[in-house]
Amino acid sequence: MTSHQIGTREQWFAASAELLQREKELTRMGDELARQRRELPWVPVEKQYTLQTADGDGTLADLFDGRSQLVVYHFMFGPDWDGGCPSCSSTADSFNGVLAHLSARDVTMICVSRAPLDKLLAYRERMGWDFTWASSYDSDFNSDFGVSAAQGITHDPVAATTGANELALLKLLEEQPAIGESLPLVTTQNAAATGTNLEGYFSEGHGVSTFARENGTVYHCYSSYARGTEFLMGYYAILDRAPKGRDEGDQPMGWLRRRDEYHSQRRDGADHD
Amino acid sequence: MTEHKTATRDEWLAARLELLQAEKELTRHSDEVARQRRELPWVRVGKTYRLDTESGAATLADLFRGRSQLLVYHFMLDPDWDEGCPSCSSIADGFDETYLHLQNHDVAFTAVSRAPLEKLLAYRNRMGWSFPWASSYGSDFNYDFHVTIDPSVAPVEYNYRNQAQLEEADVAWRDWSGEQPGMSAFALEDGVVYHTYSAYSRGLDGLWPMWQWLDRAPLGRNEGDMSWFHRHDEYKAAAAEAT
Repeated sequence: MTSHQIGTREQWFAASAELLQREKELTRMGDELARQRRELPWVPVEKQYTLQTADGDGTLADLFDGRSQLVVYHFMFGPDWDGGCPSCSSTADSFNGVLAHLSARDVTMICVSRAPLDKLLAYRERMGWDFTWASSYDSDFNSDFGVSAAQGITHDPVAATTGANELALLKLLEEQPAIGESLPLVTTQNAAATGTNLEGYFSEGHGVSTFARENGTVYHCYSSYARGTEFLMGYYAILDRAPKGRDEGDQPMGWLRRRDEYHSQRRDGADHD
Repeated sequence: MTEHKTATRDEWLAARLELLQAEKELTRHSDEVARQRRELPWVRVGKTYRLDTESGAATLADLFRGRSQLLVYHFMLDPDWDEGCPSCSSIADGFDETYLHLQNHDVAFTAVSRAPLEKLLAYRNRMGWSFPWASSYGSDFNYDFHVTIDPSVAPVEYNYRNQAQLEEADVAWRDWSGEQPGMSAFALEDGVVYHTYSAYSRGLDGLWPMWQWLDRAPLGRNEGDMSWFHRHDEYKAAAAEAT
């Protein structure tokens, strides 16, 4: 028998109907937040960024690819790394199939990383994705949007409040090296899987930034980091409905690998699919 | 220039930080609802359902494939249809590669539809997906989990509402029957399968990445009349027709 509370169908129905009210509140809260996001003021992007793509060099305006909105996923992939961040890779697995729908609704969605283009394209091929991936190598783009400590460590107080959580951890690690011993497993795991160390790994951050283009001017609209990007990690939305939930113990994301690396990780041998 | 309100970087930052507090509140609220979901009582599944899968006939217990949890996406594909529901298809575009991560975290994942298996596999092949897909053709499964509505088979219930409540909310439910979207979760312990949770209607919003992304886009969901929305392999033809 299970140690979980067992109920009759009627008891379960009553509890579920009650829970449904909480879920509806959550949905409405989400709708209201989406409305508030659209009310954020837009900031004209004055700097010219030149990024590299498979189609050649492009400005931010070029990356809209003729649409009025651009959504950037800041994919962690430092210039010296051997591969992209495994957590960002699992995120990309969730959005790669969805881009056709966004394109159809006037939204171009791309990834930007600081590694040189040839590294990005080789990794994209390995993972079987087809999204546009632009390199911001040699550009200020990543540091301006709070996802790279490009010129050494950033101590900019503004970046610390709106930038990626990884950069805040880098600063902390600089100030208190001992903290490296107590970081979540996923950070050392991901640093090893990308061929770097903790400092190298925390020099890049993940996030989402959105831009609008009107009459030739590009505007920055929104950026989000840390758990603000959880909405696009499709497995969490699903696990939040599983009997055991995220089931991560005290090691958030510790179970995640690149999807082509799971085979060697299997323990149970019970899998035939 | 744009008609949208513009601001300096500092003004934007102040507004953004305020919004961030509201976003954090939503995240915590969502964690709390997830906790409440795990507190639902589990219900023993007494009936043995026989579903068709690529590896032959399977019971619900078989679908766990060695894991302790099973998540089912109730994909709308009626036996009389030639293609899957476009909305379910765009949800599947999101979970198609995501399920690989779940099955390495003690969670088996499968779509279930009422159409015969060969129809499901043909459509999956067309769409380029790889997730497991089982057919509940000839089984009570879809009716018992309230994703096929047919008053001649079972009393009408959808999203925890009965026929009268559904009609009260939307008159279109009068005399309605057919497929509905949903997801259900199951646990397996000591050979016993338990039903733990089901979500329907907008309860699936969080699993539908297209909307989650658009909720962050400058213009939001911007749904319009939805004439822009198609299956992922139909956009090229739709664009060619529009020009």
